Amino acid sequence: MEINIKTLPDSTVAELVGRLDTPASLEIAPAFESLYEKASGTVVIDCSKLEYISSSGLRLFLTLRKSASDKGGRVIVRSICPEIRNVFMMTGFLNLFQIED
Amino acid sequence: MDIERLDPHCQAIIGQYREMLPVLTRMSEIIPVQIRSFFEEAGIIVAAMEQRVKTEESLAGKLELKGAKYRDLFDLTDILGLRVITFYIDDVDKVASVLERLFDIDWDNSVDKRKAHEIDSFGYLSLHYICRIPESAYYSPEHPEINKIRFEVQMRTVLQHAWANMNHDTGYKSGVEVPKKYLRNLSRLAGMLELIDEQFSTIRSELTEYRRKIQNLVASGDLGEVPLDGDSYRSYLKLNPFGALTRRIAAVNQAEVHENSMMPWLSVFKGLGFKTLGDIDSLIKNYGDAAYQIACYQIGLTDLDIISASIAPQNLCIAFIMKNGGGKAGIKYMFDIINGESEANETIAEMLMEQAGDLPFMNQ
Repeated sequence: MEINIKTLPDSTVAELVGRLDTPASLEIAPAFESLYEKASGTVVIDCSKLEYISSSGLRLFLTLRKSASDKGGRVIVRSICPEIRNVFMMTGFLNLFQIED
Repeated sequence: MDIERLDPHCQAIIGQYREMLPVLTRMSEIIPVQIRSFFEEAGIIVAAMEQRVKTEESLAGKLELKGAKYRDLFDLTDILGLRVITFYIDDVDKVASVLERLFDIDWDNSVDKRKAHEIDSFGYLSLHYICRIPESAYYSPEHPEINKIRFEVQMRTVLQHAWANMNHDTGYKSGVEVPKKYLRNLSRLAGMLELIDEQFSTIRSELTEYRRKIQNLVASGDLGEVPLDGDSYRSYLKLNPFGALTRRIAAVNQAEVHENSMMPWLSVFKGLGFKTLGDIDSLIKNYGDAAYQIACYQIGLTDLDIISASIAPQNLCIAFIMKNGGGKAGIKYMFDIINGESEANETIAEMLMEQAGDLPFMNQ
Protein backbone atom coordinates (compact mmCIF):
# COMPACT_ATOMS: atom_id res chain seq x y z
CA MET A 1 0.00 0.00 0.00
CA GLU A 2 1.35 3.41 -0.94
CA ILE A 3 0.23 6.94 -0.22
CA ASN A 4 1.69 9.75 -2.31
CA ILE A 5 0.96 13.24 -1.01
CA LYS A 6 1.37 16.26 -3.24
CA THR A 7 0.84 19.84 -2.18
CA LEU A 8 -0.72 21.93 -4.94
CA PRO A 9 -1.43 25.67 -4.78
CA ASP A 10 -5.14 25.17 -4.09
CA SER A 11 -5.26 21.72 -2.49
CA THR A 12 -3.44 18.74 -1.07
CA VAL A 13 -3.78 15.54 -3.08
CA ALA A 14 -3.21 12.15 -1.49
CA GLU A 15 -3.02 9.29 -3.99
CA LEU A 16 -3.79 5.87 -2.54
CA VAL A 17 -2.30 2.90 -4.36
CA GLY A 18 -3.18 -0.70 -3.62
CA ARG A 19 -5.41 -2.37 -1.03
CA LEU A 20 -6.42 -0.40 2.06
CA ASP A 21 -7.01 -3.34 4.41
CA THR A 22 -6.48 -3.31 8.17
CA PRO A 23 -2.65 -3.76 8.17
CA ALA A 24 -2.30 -1.20 5.37
CA SER A 25 -4.49 1.26 7.30
CA LEU A 26 -2.16 0.98 10.29
CA GLU A 27 0.81 1.43 7.99
CA ILE A 28 -0.42 4.62 6.34
CA ALA A 29 -2.12 6.11 9.44
CA PRO A 30 0.87 8.43 10.21
CA ALA A 31 0.81 9.76 6.64
CA PHE A 32 -2.96 10.31 6.95
CA GLU A 33 -2.38 12.20 10.19
CA SER A 34 -0.17 14.62 8.27
CA LEU A 35 -3.23 15.34 6.12
CA TYR A 36 -5.18 16.52 9.20
CA GLU A 37 -2.85 19.52 9.33
CA LYS A 38 -3.91 20.39 5.79
CA ALA A 39 -7.59 19.87 6.54
CA SER A 40 -8.40 23.56 6.86
CA GLY A 41 -8.16 23.69 3.06
CA THR A 42 -9.13 21.21 0.36
CA VAL A 43 -7.82 17.66 0.65
CA VAL A 44 -8.36 15.38 -2.34
CA ILE A 45 -8.10 11.63 -1.84
CA ASP A 46 -7.28 10.23 -5.26
CA CYS A 47 -8.65 6.69 -5.29
CA SER A 48 -8.02 5.91 -8.97
CA LYS A 49 -5.43 3.26 -7.96
CA LEU A 50 -7.21 2.08 -4.82
CA GLU A 51 -8.39 -1.51 -5.23
CA TYR A 52 -10.03 -2.30 -1.89
CA ILE A 53 -11.11 -0.57 1.32
CA SER A 54 -11.82 -2.17 4.70
CA SER A 55 -13.59 -0.73 7.75
CA SER A 56 -10.21 0.46 9.04
CA GLY A 57 -9.70 2.37 5.78
CA LEU A 58 -13.17 3.92 6.10
CA ARG A 59 -12.26 5.06 9.62
CA LEU A 60 -9.22 6.89 8.25
CA PHE A 61 -11.44 8.68 5.74
CA LEU A 62 -13.94 9.58 8.47
CA THR A 63 -11.31 10.98 10.81
CA LEU A 64 -9.99 13.13 8.00
CA ARG A 65 -13.53 14.31 7.23
CA LYS A 66 -14.10 15.25 10.87
CA SER A 67 -10.81 17.13 10.98
CA ALA A 68 -11.77 19.06 7.83
CA SER A 69 -15.24 19.76 9.19
CA ASP A 70 -13.78 21.12 12.46
CA LYS A 71 -11.33 23.34 10.59
CA GLY A 72 -13.73 24.56 7.91
CA GLY A 73 -12.02 22.61 5.12
CA ARG A 74 -13.34 19.90 2.83
CA VAL A 75 -12.45 16.43 1.66
CA ILE A 76 -13.00 15.33 -1.92
CA VAL A 77 -12.89 11.63 -2.74
CA ARG A 78 -11.89 11.34 -6.36
CA SER A 79 -12.18 8.51 -8.90
CA ILE A 80 -13.40 5.62 -6.78
CA CYS A 81 -13.98 2.34 -8.59
CA PRO A 82 -17.49 0.82 -8.59
CA GLU A 83 -16.57 -1.77 -5.92
CA ILE A 84 -15.39 0.85 -3.45
CA ARG A 85 -18.31 3.11 -4.29
CA ASN A 86 -20.49 0.14 -3.42
CA VAL A 87 -18.79 -0.17 -0.01
CA PHE A 88 -19.49 3.52 0.62
CA MET A 89 -23.12 2.98 -0.39
CA MET A 90 -23.67 -0.20 1.67
CA THR A 91 -22.34 1.45 4.81
CA GLY A 92 -24.24 4.70 4.27
CA PHE A 93 -21.10 6.80 3.80
CA LEU A 94 -21.76 7.83 0.23
CA ASN A 95 -23.50 11.08 1.11
CA LEU A 96 -20.94 12.04 3.73
CA PHE A 97 -18.21 12.73 1.20
CA GLN A 98 -17.98 14.92 -1.84
CA ILE A 99 -17.29 12.31 -4.49
CA GLU A 100 -15.88 13.29 -7.86
CA ASP A 101 -15.56 11.01 -10.84
CA MET B 1 -11.18 75.10 18.51
CA ASP B 2 -8.96 77.32 20.61
CA ILE B 3 -9.41 76.23 24.23
CA GLU B 4 -7.95 79.52 25.44
CA ARG B 5 -11.15 81.23 24.24
CA LEU B 6 -13.18 79.34 26.86
CA ASP B 7 -13.79 80.85 30.26
CA PRO B 8 -11.73 79.50 33.21
CA HIS B 9 -14.61 77.32 34.44
CA CYS B 10 -14.89 75.59 31.07
CA GLN B 11 -11.12 75.30 30.82
CA ALA B 12 -11.14 73.51 34.18
CA ILE B 13 -13.66 71.01 32.81
CA ILE B 14 -11.42 70.47 29.78
CA GLY B 15 -8.50 69.85 32.18
CA GLN B 16 -10.61 67.32 34.04
CA TYR B 17 -11.47 65.70 30.71
CA ARG B 18 -7.80 65.35 29.74
CA GLU B 19 -7.06 63.76 33.09
CA MET B 20 -9.96 61.34 32.77
CA LEU B 21 -9.45 60.46 29.10
CA PRO B 22 -7.49 57.21 29.70
CA VAL B 23 -10.20 56.02 32.12
CA LEU B 24 -12.97 56.98 29.69
CA THR B 25 -11.21 55.20 26.84
CA ARG B 26 -10.80 52.08 28.94
CA MET B 27 -14.47 52.20 29.94
CA SER B 28 -15.49 52.50 26.30
CA GLU B 29 -13.57 49.29 25.61
CA ILE B 30 -14.74 47.28 28.60
CA ILE B 31 -18.43 48.15 28.88
CA PRO B 32 -19.42 46.85 25.39
CA VAL B 33 -17.64 43.54 26.04
CA GLN B 34 -19.37 43.16 29.40
CA ILE B 35 -22.86 43.98 28.19
CA ARG B 36 -22.48 41.85 25.08
CA SER B 37 -22.02 38.77 27.27
CA PHE B 38 -25.21 39.64 29.17
CA PHE B 39 -27.10 40.05 25.88
CA GLU B 40 -25.92 36.62 24.77
CA GLU B 41 -27.05 35.15 28.08
CA ALA B 42 -30.48 36.72 27.56
CA GLY B 43 -30.64 35.35 24.01
CA ILE B 44 -30.61 38.80 22.42
CA ILE B 45 -28.90 38.98 19.04
CA VAL B 46 -27.35 42.39 18.62
CA ALA B 47 -26.67 43.58 15.07
CA ALA B 48 -23.95 46.00 16.07
CA MET B 49 -22.54 48.01 18.94
CA GLU B 50 -20.75 51.30 18.65
CA GLN B 51 -18.99 53.37 21.25
CA ARG B 52 -17.17 56.66 21.37
CA VAL B 53 -15.61 59.02 23.84
CA LYS B 54 -16.53 62.61 23.11
CA THR B 55 -13.61 64.37 21.43
CA GLU B 56 -12.02 67.36 23.12
CA GLU B 57 -13.09 69.54 20.21
CA SER B 58 -16.70 68.43 20.49
CA LEU B 59 -16.64 68.92 24.26
CA ALA B 60 -15.16 72.40 23.87
CA GLY B 61 -17.89 73.28 21.37
CA LYS B 62 -20.55 72.15 23.81
CA LEU B 63 -18.96 74.03 26.70
CA GLU B 64 -18.71 77.19 24.62
CA LEU B 65 -22.48 77.09 24.09
CA LYS B 66 -23.66 76.05 27.56
CA GLY B 67 -20.62 75.57 29.80
CA ALA B 68 -22.18 77.40 32.74
CA LYS B 69 -24.78 74.63 33.00
CA TYR B 70 -22.18 72.07 34.11
CA ARG B 71 -20.49 72.15 37.49
CA ASP B 72 -17.84 69.65 36.44
CA LEU B 73 -17.17 66.89 33.91
CA PHE B 74 -19.43 64.47 35.77
CA ASP B 75 -22.43 66.67 35.04
CA LEU B 76 -22.16 65.81 31.36
CA THR B 77 -24.17 62.73 30.45
CA ASP B 78 -22.79 62.03 27.00
CA ILE B 79 -19.04 62.20 27.53
CA LEU B 80 -19.06 58.48 26.84
CA GLY B 81 -21.65 57.14 24.41
CA LEU B 82 -22.68 53.65 23.40
CA ARG B 83 -25.10 52.56 20.76
CA VAL B 84 -26.75 49.15 20.70
CA ILE B 85 -28.38 48.26 17.39
CA THR B 86 -30.82 45.37 17.30
CA PHE B 87 -32.50 43.56 14.42
CA TYR B 88 -35.94 43.51 16.01
CA ILE B 89 -37.92 46.28 17.63
CA ASP B 90 -38.97 44.16 20.58
CA ASP B 91 -35.30 43.45 21.27
CA VAL B 92 -34.82 47.16 22.04
CA ASP B 93 -36.91 46.67 25.18
CA LYS B 94 -35.01 43.51 26.05
CA VAL B 95 -31.70 45.38 25.73
CA ALA B 96 -33.13 48.11 27.96
CA SER B 97 -34.13 45.58 30.57
CA VAL B 98 -30.61 44.09 30.62
CA LEU B 99 -29.15 47.58 31.10
CA GLU B 100 -31.60 48.26 33.94
CA ARG B 101 -30.29 45.19 35.73
CA LEU B 102 -26.64 46.10 35.17
CA PHE B 103 -26.48 49.82 35.73
CA ASP B 104 -28.00 52.61 37.77
CA ILE B 105 -30.26 54.43 35.36
CA ASP B 106 -30.60 58.18 35.66
CA TRP B 107 -34.31 58.26 34.88
CA ASP B 108 -34.54 62.06 34.97
CA ASN B 109 -32.20 62.29 31.99
CA SER B 110 -33.15 59.11 30.12
CA VAL B 111 -35.51 59.52 27.20
CA ASP B 112 -37.84 57.16 25.43
CA LYS B 113 -38.23 59.06 22.19
CA ARG B 114 -40.58 56.37 20.99
CA LYS B 115 -43.19 57.51 23.53
CA ALA B 116 -42.60 61.20 22.98
CA HIS B 117 -43.78 60.91 19.43
CA GLU B 118 -46.64 62.92 18.11
CA ILE B 119 -49.54 60.84 16.81
CA ASP B 120 -49.44 62.54 13.42
CA SER B 121 -45.73 62.33 12.76
CA PHE B 122 -43.02 59.73 12.38
CA GLY B 123 -39.31 59.92 12.69
CA TYR B 124 -36.48 59.43 15.06
CA LEU B 125 -37.51 56.64 17.35
CA SER B 126 -34.92 55.67 19.85
CA LEU B 127 -34.51 54.84 23.49
CA HIS B 128 -31.72 56.63 25.39
CA TYR B 129 -30.59 55.63 28.85
CA ILE B 130 -28.17 57.59 30.98
CA CYS B 131 -26.30 55.00 33.00
CA ARG B 132 -23.77 54.78 35.78
CA ILE B 133 -21.80 51.76 36.95
CA PRO B 134 -22.97 50.90 40.48
CA GLU B 135 -20.31 50.29 43.11
CA SER B 136 -21.86 46.88 43.72
CA ALA B 137 -20.88 45.90 40.15
CA TYR B 138 -17.44 47.49 40.01
CA TYR B 139 -15.39 49.61 42.34
CA SER B 140 -11.73 50.53 42.13
CA PRO B 141 -10.14 52.52 44.98
CA GLU B 142 -7.66 53.90 42.43
CA HIS B 143 -10.48 55.17 40.23
CA PRO B 144 -13.55 55.89 42.38
CA GLU B 145 -14.57 58.43 39.73
CA ILE B 146 -15.60 55.53 37.45
CA ASN B 147 -18.78 55.23 39.50
CA LYS B 148 -19.48 58.94 39.03
CA ILE B 149 -19.17 58.97 35.25
CA ARG B 150 -22.48 58.89 33.47
CA PHE B 151 -22.67 57.52 29.98
CA GLU B 152 -25.40 57.43 27.40
CA VAL B 153 -26.65 54.26 25.76
CA GLN B 154 -28.79 54.64 22.65
CA MET B 155 -30.87 51.63 21.70
CA ARG B 156 -32.46 51.32 18.29
CA THR B 157 -33.13 48.90 15.47
CA VAL B 158 -31.09 48.58 12.31
CA LEU B 159 -33.82 50.40 10.38
CA GLN B 160 -34.09 53.19 12.95
CA HIS B 161 -30.33 53.50 12.79
CA ALA B 162 -30.37 53.67 8.99
CA TRP B 163 -33.09 56.30 9.05
CA ALA B 164 -31.32 58.39 11.68
CA ASN B 165 -28.08 58.34 9.69
CA MET B 166 -29.72 59.16 6.38
CA ASN B 167 -31.84 61.85 7.94
CA HIS B 168 -28.70 63.34 9.42
CA ASP B 169 -27.08 63.25 6.00
CA THR B 170 -29.79 65.42 4.50
CA GLY B 171 -28.58 68.33 6.60
CA TYR B 172 -31.82 68.51 8.54
CA LYS B 173 -29.97 68.37 11.83
CA SER B 174 -27.28 70.79 10.77
CA GLY B 175 -29.64 73.72 10.86
CA VAL B 176 -29.75 74.17 7.11
CA GLU B 177 -33.33 74.75 6.11
CA VAL B 178 -34.75 71.83 4.16
CA PRO B 179 -37.79 72.43 1.93
CA LYS B 180 -41.02 71.07 3.37
CA LYS B 181 -41.63 68.58 0.60
CA TYR B 182 -38.33 66.79 1.45
CA LEU B 183 -39.18 66.77 5.12
CA ARG B 184 -42.54 65.29 4.27
CA ASN B 185 -40.86 62.57 2.18
CA LEU B 186 -38.46 61.81 5.03
CA SER B 187 -41.43 61.43 7.35
CA ARG B 188 -43.12 59.10 4.89
CA LEU B 189 -39.98 56.97 4.79
CA ALA B 190 -39.77 56.95 8.56
CA GLY B 191 -43.37 55.77 8.76
CA MET B 192 -42.65 53.02 6.28
CA LEU B 193 -39.57 51.86 8.20
CA GLU B 194 -41.59 51.85 11.40
CA LEU B 195 -44.16 49.57 9.76
CA ILE B 196 -41.41 47.29 8.42
CA ASP B 197 -39.85 47.07 11.89
CA GLU B 198 -43.22 46.05 13.33
CA GLN B 199 -43.79 43.51 10.57
CA PHE B 200 -40.38 41.89 11.13
CA SER B 201 -41.21 41.53 14.81
CA THR B 202 -44.66 40.16 14.06
CA ILE B 203 -43.24 37.61 11.62
CA ARG B 204 -40.66 36.52 14.17
CA SER B 205 -43.31 36.13 16.88
CA GLU B 206 -45.56 34.14 14.55
CA LEU B 207 -42.67 31.87 13.52
CA THR B 208 -41.77 31.28 17.16
CA GLU B 209 -45.40 30.42 17.85
CA TYR B 210 -45.49 28.10 14.81
CA ARG B 211 -42.34 26.29 15.96
CA ARG B 212 -43.76 25.87 19.45
CA LYS B 213 -46.98 24.46 18.01
CA ILE B 214 -45.06 22.02 15.78
CA GLN B 215 -42.89 20.90 18.69
CA ASN B 216 -46.02 20.22 20.74
CA LEU B 217 -47.62 18.26 17.90
CA VAL B 218 -44.44 16.21 17.42
CA ALA B 219 -44.18 15.57 21.15
CA SER B 220 -47.82 14.49 21.34
CA GLY B 221 -47.38 12.11 18.41
CA ASP B 222 -49.90 13.76 16.07
CA LEU B 223 -47.41 13.48 13.23
CA GLY B 224 -50.00 13.22 10.46
CA GLU B 225 -51.02 16.79 11.26
CA VAL B 226 -47.51 18.18 10.96
CA PRO B 227 -46.42 19.52 7.57
CA LEU B 228 -42.96 18.38 6.53
CA ASP B 229 -40.57 21.32 6.57
CA GLY B 230 -37.15 22.20 7.97
CA ASP B 231 -38.46 23.18 11.39
CA SER B 232 -40.84 20.27 11.88
CA TYR B 233 -38.30 17.75 10.59
CA ARG B 234 -35.64 19.10 12.96
CA SER B 235 -38.05 18.73 15.90
CA TYR B 236 -38.92 15.22 14.73
CA LEU B 237 -35.25 14.21 14.61
CA LYS B 238 -34.98 14.99 18.32
CA LEU B 239 -37.15 11.89 18.83
CA ASN B 240 -34.41 9.87 17.08
CA PRO B 241 -36.92 8.22 14.72
CA PHE B 242 -34.28 6.24 12.78
CA GLY B 243 -32.40 5.12 15.90
CA ALA B 244 -34.05 1.70 16.36
CA LEU B 245 -33.56 0.74 12.71
CA THR B 246 -29.94 1.92 12.75
CA ARG B 247 -29.21 -0.18 15.82
CA ARG B 248 -30.91 -3.18 14.23
CA ILE B 249 -28.78 -2.82 11.09
CA ALA B 250 -25.61 -2.28 13.14
CA ALA B 251 -26.32 -5.53 15.00
CA VAL B 252 -25.94 -7.47 11.71
CA ASN B 253 -22.14 -7.10 11.87
CA GLN B 254 -21.79 -5.76 15.41
CA ALA B 255 -20.85 -2.54 13.66
CA GLU B 256 -19.89 0.78 15.15
CA VAL B 257 -22.35 3.53 14.18
CA HIS B 258 -20.95 6.80 12.92
CA GLU B 259 -23.51 9.45 13.86
CA ASN B 260 -24.17 12.20 11.36
CA SER B 261 -26.87 14.72 10.52
CA MET B 262 -30.11 13.37 9.10
CA MET B 263 -31.11 16.82 7.83
CA PRO B 264 -29.90 16.21 4.24
CA TRP B 265 -32.53 13.44 3.92
CA LEU B 266 -35.33 16.02 4.18
CA SER B 267 -34.80 16.85 0.49
CA VAL B 268 -35.09 13.18 -0.41
CA PHE B 269 -38.31 12.72 1.56
CA LYS B 270 -39.76 15.80 -0.10
CA GLY B 271 -38.56 14.53 -3.48
CA LEU B 272 -40.41 11.28 -2.84
CA GLY B 273 -43.61 13.27 -2.30
CA PHE B 274 -43.86 13.04 1.49
CA LYS B 275 -46.02 15.84 2.85
CA THR B 276 -46.15 15.30 6.61
CA LEU B 277 -44.04 13.84 9.40
CA GLY B 278 -46.70 11.13 9.52
CA ASP B 279 -45.53 10.03 6.05
CA ILE B 280 -42.00 9.49 7.35
CA ASP B 281 -43.31 7.72 10.42
CA SER B 282 -45.35 5.39 8.19
CA LEU B 283 -42.26 4.79 6.05
CA ILE B 284 -40.34 3.64 9.11
CA LYS B 285 -43.19 1.43 10.32
CA ASN B 286 -44.03 -0.08 6.93
CA TYR B 287 -40.58 -0.36 5.37
CA GLY B 288 -38.33 -0.90 8.40
CA ASP B 289 -38.15 -4.68 7.82
CA ALA B 290 -37.41 -4.18 4.12
CA ALA B 291 -34.63 -1.68 4.92
CA TYR B 292 -33.17 -4.24 7.33
CA GLN B 293 -33.33 -6.96 4.65
CA ILE B 294 -31.36 -4.74 2.25
CA ALA B 295 -28.68 -4.23 4.91
CA CYS B 296 -28.49 -7.97 5.68
CA TYR B 297 -28.14 -8.75 1.97
CA GLN B 298 -25.45 -6.12 1.42
CA ILE B 299 -23.25 -6.16 4.50
CA GLY B 300 -24.24 -9.47 6.11
CA LEU B 301 -21.56 -11.38 4.23
CA THR B 302 -18.84 -8.74 4.58
CA ASP B 303 -16.58 -7.91 7.52
CA LEU B 304 -17.55 -4.23 7.41
CA ASP B 305 -17.96 -3.22 11.04
CA ILE B 306 -18.64 0.48 10.72
CA ILE B 307 -21.78 2.08 9.32
CA SER B 308 -23.12 5.58 9.06
CA ALA B 309 -26.45 6.44 10.69
CA SER B 310 -27.52 7.50 7.17
CA ILE B 311 -27.90 3.83 6.33
CA ALA B 312 -31.38 3.80 7.91
CA PRO B 313 -33.03 6.58 5.83
CA GLN B 314 -31.08 5.44 2.77
CA ASN B 315 -32.32 1.84 2.94
CA LEU B 316 -35.85 2.95 3.85
CA CYS B 317 -35.98 5.12 0.74
CA ILE B 318 -34.51 2.37 -1.45
CA ALA B 319 -37.10 -0.10 -0.16
CA PHE B 320 -39.92 2.40 -0.68
CA ILE B 321 -38.82 3.13 -4.26
CA MET B 322 -38.34 -0.56 -5.12
CA LYS B 323 -41.68 -1.61 -3.67
CA ASN B 324 -43.59 1.24 -5.33
CA GLY B 325 -42.22 0.61 -8.81
CA GLY B 326 -39.80 3.54 -8.89
CA GLY B 327 -37.15 1.24 -10.35
CA LYS B 328 -33.68 2.25 -11.42
CA ALA B 329 -34.72 5.81 -12.30
CA GLY B 330 -36.26 6.30 -8.85
CA ILE B 331 -33.16 5.08 -7.04
CA LYS B 332 -30.85 7.17 -9.22
CA TYR B 333 -33.10 10.17 -8.47
CA MET B 334 -32.70 9.53 -4.75
CA PHE B 335 -28.90 9.33 -4.97
CA ASP B 336 -28.83 12.39 -7.24
CA ILE B 337 -30.62 14.37 -4.52
CA ILE B 338 -28.48 13.20 -1.65
CA ASN B 339 -25.09 12.89 -3.38
CA GLY B 340 -25.42 15.30 -6.26
CA GLU B 341 -26.07 14.28 -9.85
CA SER B 342 -23.64 11.73 -11.22
CA GLU B 343 -23.48 8.97 -13.84
CA ALA B 344 -22.15 6.73 -11.08
CA ASN B 345 -25.52 6.96 -9.31
CA GLU B 346 -27.03 5.14 -12.27
CA THR B 347 -24.53 2.29 -11.87
CA ILE B 348 -25.44 1.97 -8.19
CA ALA B 349 -29.16 2.10 -9.00
CA GLU B 350 -28.66 -0.61 -11.61
CA MET B 351 -26.82 -2.84 -9.14
CA LEU B 352 -29.51 -2.32 -6.49
CA MET B 353 -32.25 -3.25 -8.93
CA GLU B 354 -30.35 -6.43 -9.76
CA GLN B 355 -30.38 -7.27 -6.04
CA ALA B 356 -34.11 -6.52 -5.78
CA GLY B 357 -35.13 -9.98 -7.03
CA ASP B 358 -33.24 -11.64 -4.16
CA LEU B 359 -34.82 -9.50 -1.45
CA PRO B 360 -37.67 -11.27 0.41
CA PHE B 361 -39.85 -8.13 0.74
CA MET B 362 -39.94 -7.76 -3.05
CA ASN B 363 -41.52 -11.18 -3.37
CA GLN B 364 -44.21 -10.64 -0.75
